Amino acid sequence: MRAPIGLRISTRRKGLGLSQAALARSVEISPSYLNLIEANKRQVGGTLLQRIASELRISIDDLTGEAEHRLIHELVETFADPALADVGLGMETARSLVATQPEIASVIAKLYRAYVAASASADAYANRLRADPLLSQLLHQVLSSITAVRSSAEILEDVDDLSSADRARFVTSISRETRGLSAVAQNLIGQFDHASTVSKSASVRRELDDMIFAARNYFPALEQRGAEIARDMQSSGAFGEAAIAHLLETVHGVRVERNARPNSGRAFGHDADRGVLWFRNTVPQSTRQFQMVRLISELTSESELSEAVKVPHLSSQTARHLARNYLASYIAGAALFPYERFLDDAETLRYDVEALSERYNASFEQIAHRLVTLRAEGAEGVPFGFLRSDPAGRLTKHFPLPGLLLPHTGHACPLWALYAAFRASGQLVRQVVRFSDGSRFLFVAKAVSRRASGFADQALPHSILLVADILHADRTVYADGLDLGDSDADVPVGPTCRLCTRTDCVSREEAPFAPGDEPTLTTARA
Amino acid sequence: MAIDILIAEDEPSILEALDFVLKRAGWTISAVMDGDAVMDAVRRQRPRVLVLDIMLPKRSGFEVLKQIRADRTTADLPVLVLTAKGQQQDRRIAEELGANKFVTKPYSNADVVDAVRSLLGAPADDRQHS
Repeated sequence: MRAPIGLRISTRRKGLGLSQAALARSVEISPSYLNLIEANKRQVGGTLLQRIASELRISIDDLTGEAEHRLIHELVETFADPALADVGLGMETARSLVATQPEIASVIAKLYRAYVAASASADAYANRLRADPLLSQLLHQVLSSITAVRSSAEILEDVDDLSSADRARFVTSISRETRGLSAVAQNLIGQFDHASTVSKSASVRRELDDMIFAARNYFPALEQRGAEIARDMQSSGAFGEAAIAHLLETVHGVRVERNARPNSGRAFGHDADRGVLWFRNTVPQSTRQFQMVRLISELTSESELSEAVKVPHLSSQTARHLARNYLASYIAGAALFPYERFLDDAETLRYDVEALSERYNASFEQIAHRLVTLRAEGAEGVPFGFLRSDPAGRLTKHFPLPGLLLPHTGHACPLWALYAAFRASGQLVRQVVRFSDGSRFLFVAKAVSRRASGFADQALPHSILLVADILHADRTVYADGLDLGDSDADVPVGPTCRLCTRTDCVSREEAPFAPGDEPTLTTARA
Repeated sequence: MAIDILIAEDEPSILEALDFVLKRAGWTISAVMDGDAVMDAVRRQRPRVLVLDIMLPKRSGFEVLKQIRADRTTADLPVLVLTAKGQQQDRRIAEELGANKFVTKPYSNADVVDAVRSLLGAPADDRQHS
């Protein structure tokens, strides 16, 4: 869904008393072109958009209405929730609410998030009770003890001529069982306390998403820090893995251990107590390199990281902690893939992710991630969105592309290259898609696997998707050979089945949410 | 030596109370505390009814029940199964495997006595007097 910029431009322009001719002159385009822009018949972006925003004395985000757009999208998701679906509210209501009552709209969005978190919490408890072997064992113990106590107590109560030996026997039995019960009760309570921390995660992740979105995934202070770290490494001659490891040891007292054999399922980790950064043998060099620089970033950027997480989006220690983890990785990316040089290379190589991987000795995901952060004003790369799917098809990481709102969590449209990549044996998959509002994008996806450490170790692939607006597609190597002008060749897609309005898709997996005229909505499940 | 009731139950406190209550009702009792011992005890001691707990160590009550029904010499043995409250699934499986009656834990002693009585008829003493 594209943001309707044209209307905003003309509204603002008229509000300032500017004629079309005057504005067009000041931003150096023809009045007829400005007219097309205002009628939403031409897209506007990059430096032209900046000039227009500047002339109209309005910020870019306000002009694109990106923040509003996101709120509208969030409300549509809220209205589509099965709990609210039969009320029948949809896009029109969402738009109107955001336009006329933005605070109420924010409150509704916030309440919905809290509700989702609470539901997830309840689900987590239920699942925990059902599936946790320790809990079911404890419950079984409780049941057995109660059975014994009741049985014995009945005997004591009902049998008049009980011998004192027998009486003593059953009293002892009850005593013993109730002591055991107390221990089990304490254990159970402990388990519940632990389970309550399970589901804050949903809302914490959303807060992190908000922080990233607000910054457009570009953090200038951290870019600078990354550049400093790169300079430090270079001046101490740290070029290449061995040198970086040496730096880590001599300056920071952290020893790098390869060929580790830990008990945990993890492939690498930082044992702060022992001062060791360990890697299993299956970890590729790109990961080792990245993690080493990431640790250096974490250890040396305390003030920058603390400053960066002092944002209103993060409302808890957990959220800030998660954000710090993310931002430490951000700094590492900035250090390993210095902004200007990387942008230059990306342009030269026409955003060929695999070629960039080769040049920087980095993984597909690391490169894809860095591409998404090339958002410095005046020195932007092709704007990309990013999604990652786990082997079960669930979305585990996402960076939005302004103008296209990607699903946060759950699953995306089954037609997307993101999922086709799983079927392509690690080959890169590309497709040109069209959403039902006519917007078109280039999707590029690849399934990536880690190395297996043995026959019993199933190294399942993840899939990474990069998304670019069709307007920028020809700046990338991925448009080569595609006839971008032929929109009949587009794959018609939606965001996710529930929110997709297409009625004729053979791949539909879930009934669409249709507000208003569909009274049978709640029964319309496929 | 034939006995009336064989109890297969691993919780000592439960076993103790069951033993007392069933003896008091007039029956002769023997007990085993794990699944492996049941078949053997059934063959040697020829009980008239088996009181079988589902959760037994070494071999589950289900497996024991299946084994009993599969052996021609024991296939007709009346079996009373003790299940845990809330385990509908367990009850269904036991029924399919050929259990005759159920008592759900936690139970009242009278429930067990009544169930055994309905599987057995009156205890040996009573029959003599009537």
